[in-house]
Amino acid sequence: MAEFTDLFSAPLTFNWTLSYRCNFSCVHCYSREEAAEELSTAEICSMVDILAEKQVPFINFGGGEPLVRADLFDVATYATSKGLNVSMNSNGWLLDLAAAEKLKAAGFKSVGISIDSADAALHDDFRCMQGAWDRAVGALQALRTVGLRSTLSAVISRINYQHFRQILDLARDNGVAQVYLHNFKCSGRGFKNREELDLSPEEWKAFYVEALAVKNATTDISISFDDPVIASLPGYAENPLVKGSSCGKLSLHLKPNGDITPCGFIPLVVGNLLHDDFDDLWKNSHILNAMRNKEAKGKCGSCGSYESCLGGCTARAFATTGDFSEPDPHCWK
Amino acid sequence: MTVLKRNPAIIWRVERQREAEVKQALAAGDDPGERGTVLLIDSGTMHQLNLVGGTIWQLIDGTRTAADIVADLAVEYDVSQDELIGDVEAFTSDLLQRGWLLHG
Ligand code: SF4
Repeated sequence: MAEFTDLFSAPLTFNWTLSYRCNFSCVHCYSREEAAEELSTAEICSMVDILAEKQVPFINFGGGEPLVRADLFDVATYATSKGLNVSMNSNGWLLDLAAAEKLKAAGFKSVGISIDSADAALHDDFRCMQGAWDRAVGALQALRTVGLRSTLSAVISRINYQHFRQILDLARDNGVAQVYLHNFKCSGRGFKNREELDLSPEEWKAFYVEALAVKNATTDISISFDDPVIASLPGYAENPLVKGSSCGKLSLHLKPNGDITPCGFIPLVVGNLLHDDFDDLWKNSHILNAMRNKEAKGKCGSCGSYESCLGGCTARAFATTGDFSEPDPHCWK
Repeated sequence: MTVLKRNPAIIWRVERQREAEVKQALAAGDDPGERGTVLLIDSGTMHQLNLVGGTIWQLIDGTRTAADIVADLAVEYDVSQDELIGDVEAFTSDLLQRGWLLHG
């Protein structure tokens, strides 16, 4: 898609998995069964150099748990010195006051903590970790104490979709700036456990109608959804930078070994940041260009919302059908 | 006269390839149109600056006054001083109003 890469010479964000290792073993996790060689600090800094050279403004460390890598602070300090805006997502277990101070000193712009329920026992059960909720909330408090912007991420599933307001209240009580209500992805364990965790399309619709109304009426906290399928709803008033999924357009994902995938939920390797020419991958990758040029298949072909929705979440369509262009399985139309 | 600086909340980058293409088109006497050379994101909304705006934006680095910027542009563009002063004034007052620029 010549026009797209003509406008964007590189993505705006790299979601970067430094390690698939994690101190948790959550039932919805996309990456528990993933494995990849990890790179040295020097190699990671070389990748930071490439991203700085390509003027990628944001990197967001995810995982696995970013804090299991002891060099996280050094890497972030280096990336910040190169002008990148650094953030991360964590389960909060290792994020005590001392860690929060180090994150702040390393230049992190914001830190996201995953909390799936305002009910401590439910969160601990979902995350298969006794005490996880207490430490996650403790992490939010530590971030607040050191003055580092915090966000809260909840993956919406059967366990919490009717109780998202309590999650917003929990965020308020802990000085959180922004809440991400993430759509459930059918990848990794999320795919295996989807019968148990995923909502039906009608339930998704009901959830989003309600959550959008709450979002539009809320001024004290920012609420974000990353789900393109909501573009077909009447209450949807956003004007996103690109239509449909932003993966492969505004964002890419880095695996621990430097391999690039369109997003963390699509296991197709586009190339390697250390070994391949990034500009060539960005412009000419068949995978990326297929994602940027989806065709309306199935019911999308006659749908009036296609222009703004572009078939919904490409990762979910691919996970369930093997085809980027099939309709998002969450679609209620 | 105070120096001007960019609002640090604005995320931006120079689209170098486009900048080179636009400069090439101008040198060849072609009309580059209004193609943006600087990409700018303010609270999730994307904007583009054309070549002159993008050049001014890059010069606003917290060390220069508007007069300094005019002097720097005069080296690069074969345009009258008055026209440059008018362009810089119009551009900076618009961006100050939007909150993208701040007085240093
Ligand atoms: S039918 Fe396709 S285009 Fe229409 S809302 Fe559903 S996924 Fe989006």
